[in-house]
Amino acid sequence: MSKYSVIGTRVHRVDGPEKVTGNAKYTFDLVLPGMLYGKVLRSPHPHAKILKIDTRKAKRLIGVKAVITGKDTLGRKQGIWRRFPELCDEEILCREKVRYIGDPVAAVAAIDEDTAEEALDLIEVEYEPLPAVFDPLEAIKEEAPQVHDGVELNINVTRHIEWGDVDEAFKKCDHIREDQYKLCSQAHVCMETHDAVVSYDYGGKMTVWTSTQSSYYIQRLMADMTGLREGDIRVIKPTTGGGFGSKFELDSAQFCAAILSMKLCKPVKIVLNREEEFTATKRRTPMYYFLKLGAKKDGTLLAKEVRVITEGGAYTAMGATALYLTGFFSSFPYKYPNYRFDGYRAYTNTATTSAMRGFGAPQSTFVGESQLDMMAEDLGIDPIEIRRKNGMTPNYEVPGQAYIQSCGLHQCLDKIDAHIKERGKLPPNHGIGVSAYGFMSGGIFNWFDTPYAFSAAIVRINIDGKVDLFTGACEIGQGSDTTLSMICAEELGVKLEDIRIHAADTGICPVDLGAWGSRTTLMNGNAVKMAAADAKRQLLEFAAAKMGPNIVYDFDIKDQWIHLADRPERGISYFDIVKEAIRGKDGETIIGRGHYTPHRKGMISPAYSFGVQAAEVAVDPETGRYKLVNVTTAHESGTVINPVGIEGQLEGAIMMAGGYGYCEDQPMDEGKILNPSIADYKLIRSLDMPETEILEIDTYEPEGPFGAKEAGEGLTNPTAGAIGNAVYKAVGVRINDLPITPEKVLRALKEKQKKSK
Amino acid sequence: MIRDFEYFAPKTLKEALTLLDKYQDEAKVIAGGQSLLILMRQGLVAPKYLIDIKGISELNYIKSDAKEGLKIGALTTHRTVEKSPMMRNGFSVLAEIERNVASIQTRNWGTVGGELCHGDPAEDPAPALITLNATLKMASLKGERTMAVEDFTLDYFETALKPGELLTEIQVPVVPPHTGTAYTKFTVIENDLPTVGAAVSIILGSGDDICQDVRVALSASAPIPMRAKQAEAVLRGKKITDALLKEAGEVASTEAEPLSDIYASEEYRRELIKVLVKRMGKEALARAKKA
Ligand SMILES: Cc1cc2nc3c(=O)[nH]c(=O)nc-3n(C[C@H](O)[C@H](O)[C@H](O)COP(=O)(O)OP(=O)(O)OC[C@H]3O[C@@H](n4cnc5c(N)ncnc54)[C@H](O)[C@@H]3O)c2cc1C
Repeated sequence: MSKYSVIGTRVHRVDGPEKVTGNAKYTFDLVLPGMLYGKVLRSPHPHAKILKIDTRKAKRLIGVKAVITGKDTLGRKQGIWRRFPELCDEEILCREKVRYIGDPVAAVAAIDEDTAEEALDLIEVEYEPLPAVFDPLEAIKEEAPQVHDGVELNINVTRHIEWGDVDEAFKKCDHIREDQYKLCSQAHVCMETHDAVVSYDYGGKMTVWTSTQSSYYIQRLMADMTGLREGDIRVIKPTTGGGFGSKFELDSAQFCAAILSMKLCKPVKIVLNREEEFTATKRRTPMYYFLKLGAKKDGTLLAKEVRVITEGGAYTAMGATALYLTGFFSSFPYKYPNYRFDGYRAYTNTATTSAMRGFGAPQSTFVGESQLDMMAEDLGIDPIEIRRKNGMTPNYEVPGQAYIQSCGLHQCLDKIDAHIKERGKLPPNHGIGVSAYGFMSGGIFNWFDTPYAFSAAIVRINIDGKVDLFTGACEIGQGSDTTLSMICAEELGVKLEDIRIHAADTGICPVDLGAWGSRTTLMNGNAVKMAAADAKRQLLEFAAAKMGPNIVYDFDIKDQWIHLADRPERGISYFDIVKEAIRGKDGETIIGRGHYTPHRKGMISPAYSFGVQAAEVAVDPETGRYKLVNVTTAHESGTVINPVGIEGQLEGAIMMAGGYGYCEDQPMDEGKILNPSIADYKLIRSLDMPETEILEIDTYEPEGPFGAKEAGEGLTNPTAGAIGNAVYKAVGVRINDLPITPEKVLRALKEKQKKSK
Repeated sequence: MIRDFEYFAPKTLKEALTLLDKYQDEAKVIAGGQSLLILMRQGLVAPKYLIDIKGISELNYIKSDAKEGLKIGALTTHRTVEKSPMMRNGFSVLAEIERNVASIQTRNWGTVGGELCHGDPAEDPAPALITLNATLKMASLKGERTMAVEDFTLDYFETALKPGELLTEIQVPVVPPHTGTAYTKFTVIENDLPTVGAAVSIILGSGDDICQDVRVALSASAPIPMRAKQAEAVLRGKKITDALLKEAGEVASTEAEPLSDIYASEEYRRELIKVLVKRMGKEALARAKKA
C-alpha cells in the first residue's frame, strides 16, 4: 500500500466538471453592468515613425466613448526584466515609433465591439516608413537599420556561459563535428486569446480580470505603467484557456483596457481576435545555432562549443531568459567537462519573441540531440550507449551553474532501450529516434525584482472541517489547482473534496510569481505543504492535549483521522478536533501559512527533471510525408502527485512539440506573418496524434513537496529531436531547419538520390 | 467584423430565385456558411442582402436511378453524402472522399453545392465529380440550364453562375461496367484542404484489360479543378502498366499549373501530382478489374 492517501491516486480535476459542462467562466465570458468594449489599432508597418495621429473622426462616431493614444499614457516603457531598466523597452501604446506589424498605436472604447472596430478605421495615423530589418543575421550588420536608438548592432542582450578549457579540450578530441541549424518560430495558440476586463472606479481602485499566467506580475507591471499603487490594483484570474508562456507579461488587451477604464471610470473589455493573437502577441524564439562537439573514440564527450543568434523581434520581453536558458540547456543532460556558450539576441522588426513552453530548451534539445546522434554514428556507437556514457547522474554539479540532486536519466535510458528492443524489426521506411532531455523545476533568477517569497499559500480550516486554500498560483489548464489541492489534502490528512482552492486573486491570495518555468508543483507545492503543516500542527496541539498520550508519541492525520503515528488505531476524528480547536482559540479559525523561496540552489533551479523519448515515424519516400506512429516517453519527475495530470501534460506536449518538429511555422514577408489564422497555421490535431505511452520511473527529489518535481515544460523538449533522428533512421536524411516538413524531407531525399548516382 | 446586412430565409426555390432576381449582385447566397462566413469575417465579402437557402428542403435530397444515375440536391451536406447508402455501384468514391473532408462539424454544415459554388480549386469533391462525368443544374427565374462540372469553375473563386442563378442539383451519370474510380489528396495534417488532390477514373473493355476511357482530374493544381487531358491520352486505348502510370503522372505534372504558396512550393506540388496520379491510376485500375 502506498504511504499516501491522496498523492499518486487517479483523481478527476477539481475544475473538471465546470469545464466539461461548458459552465466555467473565462474572462471572455465576463459582462459587467455598463461595460464598454475596446479595440486596439495596430501598426501596418514593420518600422515607421509616427508623425501624427488624428482621432477626431473616431471620437465623433456615435457610440464611441474614448479614444486613446500614447499621449494618454505616462509614456513609460515596460518590461518583465525590471532589475534592468535598459531591458524595459516596450511602450505598449507607441508614441514616436512603431517597430513591428502589430505594434499598438491607439485604442478605442465603445458601446459594442462593432462600433469600436468601425472607429479604428476612422483614426488617421500618418507614418513615415523607415527601413526595416527582419533577419537577426542581417540585423547585426553594421549597415542595418536601428530598431532601438543607441543599441549598437541591434544587439539586445548577450549571454556567456563557460567552464573548463574548451580550446585545450578540442585538441584532445579524436573526432569533432561542426553543425549548423536554423530554428523556426512557433505560436502558442491558446484556446482563449489574450483578454481583459478592467474596471477603474471613482475611488481610484482598479480591478482587472484577465487570462494570465501570473496575476501578481500583472498587478505589479500595471502599477508601474499606470502610476497606481500596487495595492490599489486587484488582479483576478478567472478560468483560463491556456498560456504556454504567452501570458505572463503585460499585454495590449490589459494595458489599453486599463487606460480606457481610467479615463471613463467604467469597465472596459478587450478581447484580442485570432489574427491579433498570431501577429501581435509574443512567440517562440527563432534561432540560428552553430555547434561544435568533440569526443574521444569511445564516445566520451570532451567539449562543446555553442554559438546562438536569436531573432528577438521588436522588444526584450522574456527573450533574454530564452537566450540564457538555451545556452544552459545546450549542456543538458550530459556531463561536459568543458563547455562554452555565446548567445546574442538581435532586435528585428518582427513580432517579439519570448517565452514559450520549454523556454529555449526545445531548441537546444533538437540541435543537441540531432548532433549527438550524428556523433554516435560517426564513431560507430549506439545512440543509447553514447547517452549512457555521458548522461548526468544524481548529485552532479554543472560547474559553476547548478547542482543536480535527483536524476533518473539512466533509468529512463534503460526503459527506452528496452522499449525499442520490444518494437523489434520495423517495417520499411519506419524509424525510431531517441532524444534525451532535462528541464528545471522553476527558475531561481529574480529579474522581476520581487521582494516577496517566490511562492506562498494560506490554509484556513473552517468549523465544519472544510479547508480553504489560498494561493497565488495560476491554474491555466495545466492542472495546478488539482495538484495543489492534492498536496494540501495529503499534508493535512483530509480528503481532496474537503479542499476548496481560491487561487490567483491578488486581493485575497498571497503572492506567487506565476505559472512559468515549470515552477508551480515544486515551489507553490512547497508553500502549500508548509501552510498545511502549519495548520495541522495547530490541530495536533489540541489533539495531544485532549488525548494525553505518552509524550514519546508523534501525532499524524490521515483520511480525516487524527492518530498516534505509530498506533493508528488510537485516534480521534479530525472533525471533532477542528471544532474543539476553534473553540479553544476563542473562536478564531485555524490559519496556516507557508512560503517558499529557493536558497543555496545554484543560479537556475532548485531541481531538475529528466527524460528520454523515442519517436517512431513512418515515411512515405515518394512524397516525404511522414506520420508519427508511436511516441514513448520515460519521464522522471520525482514523486508523481497526479498521474492523470502527467498523462495530460505528456499528450499535450507531444501535440505541441510534435507540431514544432513537424509543421508549425510562421512564414513572413517583410515582417508580415503570412498565416495568422488557425486554418493556415498548421497544428497537429487529434487525427494526427500518435499512440503515446509513458514509462514510469521511480525517483525522489529531496527539494520537492513529497519528492515531486516538474512535469510541464520539460516534456516539450525532446519531440522535435526525436522526430529528426527518427526520420534519419527511416530514410537517411537530416533536416537541419525546423520544422521538418514533408517537402523538406522529399527535397533531401532527391538530393541524396542525385548524389548516390 | 461582419458588416450589417439584410437577411432572408426563403423556404422555396421560387422565393429564393425571386429574391436573387431582385437584388442581383448586391445579394449573396449562404448555404452552410463554412466558406462564406470566413470571407465575410475577413471583410472580403460584404453583401447588402444575405439569402439563406439552408431552409429550402426541396434542394436537399439524394436520388438514385438505374438509368439516370445519381442526383444530389445542392443543399445536401458532406455528411449526408458520406453516410448515404446510395453511394455504391461506382459512386462509392464520393462517400470515401467525404470521410477526409474537414471535421464532422464542418461536414454537418457544409454542403456539396456550396463547396462547388465557392470555386476554390483546393477542394475535394470536384475532381472526382469531373472524372465521373458529372453535370450541374442551375436555375434562375429565366429557367434552367446544365453544364459539366469540368466547365463550371472559371478561375480562382469564380464560377459560371450568373447573378440571379442558383445551383440546384449535381447529376452523376450511371457508371459504365468495368469502371474504377479513386481519389486521394496530399495534406500535411489529416483532413485538411488538399495541398494537391488527384482523381482517376478508368473504364476497361469487357473481358480485356485495355483502357477504353480514362479521366484524370486534379485539385489545387491550377486555378480551377483541372482535368489533365494529356495524362489521359497517355493511358487511353492502352493496356495499363506501372510504367505507363508513371508516365501519366509525369505528364499530368507538366500540364498542371500549380502555384507556390505557404503550404507548398510549385515544384513540390508537381512532385506530388506525379505520385498521386500514378497511385490513383493504379488504384482505379485495380477497382476497374473488380467492378
Ligand atoms: C475548417 C474547414 C475545413 C475544411 N476542410 C475541407 C476539406 O478537407 N476538403 C474540402 O473539400 N473542403 C473543406 N472545407 C470546405 C468546406 O467543405 C466548404 O466550406 C463547404 O462545403 C462549403 O459549403 P457551404 O454550404 O458551407 O457553403 P457556403 O459557405 O454557404 O457558400 C459558399 C459559396 O457558395 C455560394 N453558394 C452556396 N450554395 C449555393 C447554391 N446552391 N447556389 C449558388 N451559390 C451557392 C455562396 O454564395 C458562397 O459564395 C473546409 C472548410 C472549413 C471551414
